[in-house]
Amino acid sequence: MRILTIMFEKELVETWRTYRFLTLITFFLILALMSPLVAKLTPTIIKLSLNDTLNLQLPQPTAFDSWKQFYKGITQLGILVTAILFAGTMSQELSKNTLVNLVTKGLPRWTIVLSKYFSLLLQWTVALSLSLFVTWGYTAYYFPAKITPTAVLAGFLPLLLFGIFLLALILFGSTLGQNNYGGLLIPLFITVILYLINLVKQLHNYNPLSLIGDNLAILQGTKPLSQLLPGMLVAIAASLFLLGGTVVLLNHRKI
Amino acid sequence: MTALLTLTHVQKSFGTHHVLQDLSFSIPTGSIFGFVGENGAGKTTTMRLLLGLEKSEHGSILLAGQEVTFGGNRTNSITGYLPDVPAFYDYMTATEYLTLCARLTRIANREQRIAEMLNLVGLKTKKQRIHGFSRGMKQRLGIAQALLNEPQLLICDEPTSALDPLGRNEFLELLATLRGKVTVLFSTHILSDVERICDYVGILHAGRMQKCAPLSDLRNQYGRSRIMLTFPDTPTAKRCMQVLAHFPAYAVKNTVMIDYQGSYTNAAHQVLQTLTASVTPIALQHKCPTLEQIFLEVTGNAHSDNHV
Amino acid sequence: MNNHWQLLMTNLPLFIPLVLLEVGLMLAALIHALRHSHYRFGNRVFWIVVILFIQIVGPLTYFVFGRGEN
Repeated sequence: MRILTIMFEKELVETWRTYRFLTLITFFLILALMSPLVAKLTPTIIKLSLNDTLNLQLPQPTAFDSWKQFYKGITQLGILVTAILFAGTMSQELSKNTLVNLVTKGLPRWTIVLSKYFSLLLQWTVALSLSLFVTWGYTAYYFPAKITPTAVLAGFLPLLLFGIFLLALILFGSTLGQNNYGGLLIPLFITVILYLINLVKQLHNYNPLSLIGDNLAILQGTKPLSQLLPGMLVAIAASLFLLGGTVVLLNHRKI
Repeated sequence: MTALLTLTHVQKSFGTHHVLQDLSFSIPTGSIFGFVGENGAGKTTTMRLLLGLEKSEHGSILLAGQEVTFGGNRTNSITGYLPDVPAFYDYMTATEYLTLCARLTRIANREQRIAEMLNLVGLKTKKQRIHGFSRGMKQRLGIAQALLNEPQLLICDEPTSALDPLGRNEFLELLATLRGKVTVLFSTHILSDVERICDYVGILHAGRMQKCAPLSDLRNQYGRSRIMLTFPDTPTAKRCMQVLAHFPAYAVKNTVMIDYQGSYTNAAHQVLQTLTASVTPIALQHKCPTLEQIFLEVTGNAHSDNHV
Repeated sequence: MNNHWQLLMTNLPLFIPLVLLEVGLMLAALIHALRHSHYRFGNRVFWIVVILFIQIVGPLTYFVFGRGEN
C-alpha cells in the first residue's frame, strides 16, 4: 500500500509534467463547450447552406440535442484521444528501460500496473466529470427543459463506468505490445470485435459497448438504467481479468 | 575470505543460443571484481541473473546466504545496480529521482543521504531536469541511485565504455574509494580499467568462467615477461635474431621481443652478454605482463580446448 | 449582418471559454515547441505551422506525437 502510494504519486507527476493530463482535460472541455454550441447552431447552419430558398421550418434545438452532441463527441473523439494519450503508458517505460532501476530496488511489478491504472482512472474521472458539468451548465442556460439531475447522472454513469474497461484495455495493450502502437491497436481490435458482437440483438445489453451507446436513451427516460446492469457487470469483470492479465504479462516481460 | 556471492553450475540460453553453459564462480567480500569477456560473452546476462531480472535454467545463485530467484526481490535490498545505459524519468530533477528511489527502499534520513550521494558523485544541479543531462551526468546519477541504499554488492555493467577518458578516470577513482566498504562487480572489455583498480579478475568465455583469481595470481601464472630491444632498422633486428638464436625471441619490424622466466636482472644480463660482440640496440625495455596478454592466452587456450 | 451579430452575442458565454482554451492550448504548444529542439519527427518550422494553422487538432497533435523526450 505504501509503495502503491509512492508509485501513484510518481504517475501523477508524470502525467502533469508530460502535458498528458493538460491535453486530455483541454480536449474534453472543448468537446463539452462544443456540444451546446453545435446543437444551437445546427439549424442556422442548415438554413445558410440551403440558402433559405425553401423557407424550411426547422424544429427548435432542444436540451436533448445538446446532450446528443456531448455523448457523440466523448464516445468517439474523446475515447480516441484518451487511447492515443495513454497508449504509451507502459510501453514507453519498457522501451526506455526506465523500470530497471526501480525493479532492481525491489519494486514489485504488480504495483506498477495498479498505480498506472489508478492514475488513469483518476484522470478519466476528473476530465469526464468536468466536461459533464460544463455541458450541463450551458445546456440548462440555453435550453430550459425539465431534465432532472437524476436523469442526467443516470445517462452519465454508464459512460463513466466504461472508462474502467477502456483504461484496463489500454493498459493491457500497452504492456502486451512491443511498441507504442500496441496500446492503440489492441483496444481498436477489441472494439471492432465488440461492434461485431453488437450485431446480435440479444447480446446488446451484455455488451460493454452498450455503456456508450444508450446514454441518450437513458437520459430521455426511454430506457431504464437497470437494463444496462449486465453490460456493467461484464465490463467490470473484463477489467479485472485484463488487469490480472497485465500483471501476468509484466511479470514475464523482459525489463 | 568469505564469499559474498556464489554461482554454481548456472545455465542460461536464449532460444538455441547457449549464453552461459556452466558458470560457477564466487566473489570474495570486499573485493573489486573485474568481470572480463568479449562483447556477447554473457556478462550482462550474468548480471541480470544476479538481480533476478532473468531466469536461469539450471544452477543456483547465493547472495549473502540467500537464493536469488527470478522475479523475487529479497536480495535486491543488498544489491545496487548501474546498468550500461542508465535510464531515468526525464521530467524529474536528480533530487526528485533519488527521493523516489529512497522512498521505495525505505531509507532513513532521506534528505541527508541524498545530499551525501549527490556530493559523492559530484552532481551539483538543483533545478535542472534529467532530460538536459549529459551522458556523464547520467552516469553519475546512475552511481548515486545504485549506492543510495548502501548495498553490500554494487553491480556495474560496462560503466566506463561510454565515457570519455576524463570521465572514465573520474569514475575509476570513485570506484576505488569504495574499496573495503562495498563489494564491487564490474564488467568491462577495457582491460586497462581492470588492471587499474581490480583485485580479482574473472574471465568469461564460451559460457564458462575460464579463470577467476586474484589479478596478481593470474600475472604470476600466465603473464609472460618480456624484454624488448629496439634497433635503428629492420636488417639490424634480423641480425640480432641470428645472434640470439637459442633465446625464445621473435622480431617485429625493428624490434626484437625476448620472453624470459625468472628474474629480470638475470635474463637481461644474459641477453646483453650475448649481444655485446655483434649488434647494439638503441633501447632496451622491460615489458610487464598485461591483462590483455593473459586474456588472449586464456581465451585462446579455451578455443583449442574446445576443438580437442 | 445584424442577425450574425446577434448570433455571436447570444453565444458569447460559449465562444469566450472556447477561444480561451484554443488559444491557451496553442500558446502552450508553441512555447514548448520553441523551447525544445528535439521532436519525434518533423522540424521546428513544420510544428509551428501545424500548431498555428490547424485549430485544436494542431496543438493536440504536437503534444501527443511531436513532443520529443530529450
